[in-house]
Amino acid sequence: MSRDGIAGLAVLAASLVLFALTLDLKANPMVPVGPGFYPRIVLALTALLSLGLVVSDVLRRKEKPEEKPKQKLNYPLVAMSFGVFALYCVALPNLGFRIATFIYVVAASALLAPPRGARGWLGALILGLATAFITWLIFERYLSVLLPRGRWTAF
Amino acid sequence: MFELLGAGIVNVLQFKYLLPLFIGTLIGVIGGALPGITITMTIIVVLPFTFGLEPLQGLSAMIGVYVGGETGGLITSCLLGIPGKPSAVATTFDGFPMARKGEPGRALWLGIWASIFGGLLGAVFLVATTGPLARIALQFGPWEFFSLFVLALSMVAGLVEASLAKGLVAGALGMIVTILGNDPVMGQKRLTLGMPMLEGGIDFLPVLIGVFAFAQIMTEVERMGGTHKAIEAVDRGVSLVVSHAKIVLEIVTRPFLLLWSTFIGLVIGVLPAIGGSAANMLAYDQAKKFSRHPERFGTGTPEGIIAAESSNNANVAGSLVTIMAFGIPGDAVTAVMLGALTIHGIQSGPLFIVQNATLAYGMFAAYIVAHALVLAILLPGVRWMLRIVDIPKAALFPVVLVLCTIGAYALGNTMSNVYVLLIFGLVGYAMVKFGFPLAPFILGVILGDQIEINLIRAIMTDADPWLFLTRPISGSLIALSVASLAFSIWQHYRQRGRAEVEADF
Repeated sequence: MSRDGIAGLAVLAASLVLFALTLDLKANPMVPVGPGFYPRIVLALTALLSLGLVVSDVLRRKEKPEEKPKQKLNYPLVAMSFGVFALYCVALPNLGFRIATFIYVVAASALLAPPRGARGWLGALILGLATAFITWLIFERYLSVLLPRGRWTAF
Repeated sequence: MFELLGAGIVNVLQFKYLLPLFIGTLIGVIGGALPGITITMTIIVVLPFTFGLEPLQGLSAMIGVYVGGETGGLITSCLLGIPGKPSAVATTFDGFPMARKGEPGRALWLGIWASIFGGLLGAVFLVATTGPLARIALQFGPWEFFSLFVLALSMVAGLVEASLAKGLVAGALGMIVTILGNDPVMGQKRLTLGMPMLEGGIDFLPVLIGVFAFAQIMTEVERMGGTHKAIEAVDRGVSLVVSHAKIVLEIVTRPFLLLWSTFIGLVIGVLPAIGGSAANMLAYDQAKKFSRHPERFGTGTPEGIIAAESSNNANVAGSLVTIMAFGIPGDAVTAVMLGALTIHGIQSGPLFIVQNATLAYGMFAAYIVAHALVLAILLPGVRWMLRIVDIPKAALFPVVLVLCTIGAYALGNTMSNVYVLLIFGLVGYAMVKFGFPLAPFILGVILGDQIEINLIRAIMTDADPWLFLTRPISGSLIALSVASLAFSIWQHYRQRGRAEVEADF
């Protein structure tokens, strides 16, 4: 099965599980249809469409094999970038915006283009410091947007 | 109408509106010129800066980004052969060859002036049609709105480049996002999956930021770290000085080309969520078909540049019409604008222009003035824009993601929105990898609630389901939805047939 079939199966499974959950929803006497009415329509439609995707994938696979993509892509870098960003999201409420942002920008830029020597690291550190400080200054001081304070650092 | 527009222009020329418009236009030109940074990403970055501003200040900045971005994308297309954004791909076909032939200034300024002309012709359409279209939409009941939103979704699903089935599944997935959390009619909890953060439902802006900014950056990241082909650019020291009168004359002596390309851009802009890249390519293709010398296309002909650039700026006007008259975003950029309106407590849709005439005409004025600002920025600064491509992506991407995070967080001062961004960033990236189009997904997220509200309202008013088909406008819209899907299926089989014939040869 190709990626279309796999994606179709995943969506089909998710929509069926959610559809089953809508059966527990109780109707509201104020409206002629309950809170589950529209979700059931959407989920049934999604299930049907994803089933169609799976069927068309199976039929197409019988006709001709799928061509493999030629371009080589750097998925480990994507996974690591995602991991670093996920850690940043977790760190924000614990370390606070300024510290978490400084660490994130230094780490992410170093990950995407490893710094060469002390000068490269200095550049990454300046970028992290400038991003954390300037964004904090603009948003907190001038735009009245309160950025997260650290639970552990109170900063 | 003209009085309101005049007042709008006077209003926007005040320093407090002109400054955000200028900054937005400048950021748009820079974002547009940067390969790998889309206009959507640029406007998402600008979004949090508009939270503390007045609605017209914030929307002016966003309109500036939109107009500036559409024009900025042609700089690298013409001089480096790399489109700054997807809607400048066709500009590269003739812009770069003309530049390499020793006329970089001509290529560049033909594109810039064509953008200005296309954009300003689009402004005429924007100002003239938004009000009347909104008045028509004011006659709509819940049946018509339901059918209109269904039509928007079916058209988007059918017109995207991916398969129709994938487009429809993507739209349905977007609608699933809106059924999680609570029922928008009675506010009853449903499908919270045991997560307290879902109890209030999912705001569409963090979803949009995750899907368009995060997923887009990750698709750029996957190409990093390897060996790169050297950019075959024109000499950066070469003169870009031209006679602007000659360039303008070159454009206005081709009125049919200019008007037809602008018309294509407007139509594509009005159709929901298709975007400038389709307008750019279609206008180029049409210019080639209508040309007496189609063989010259691709070798540096001015017609190719004029068609490509006038259409993508007119596309902006078309997108603004759809959002201002119907509350349906014409593309991802106007979807962010829709979010900005919501943040300021302004209801988009047909009542928008009636209830907020000053703001609406201020937006029209901002759109017109932004074109003059593009000229004011590029006349002295076009050479500097070439230096922008030297900014390393490794430094740019983390900063963009920090600004995206602030944008999501500041929507409700809650970390829940940041987690939504993270989750939908991953979902968006997975969708890109599995070949699902993002436009129907995000339109499903935006329109899902409205479809449900109008469906329930229609049933509460009259339980007869046939009214969706028997009311003339609603029935016509449903018929158009079916016709749109049938057309997509026919087109799919025609293309498949052609591919098989080509394979046989």
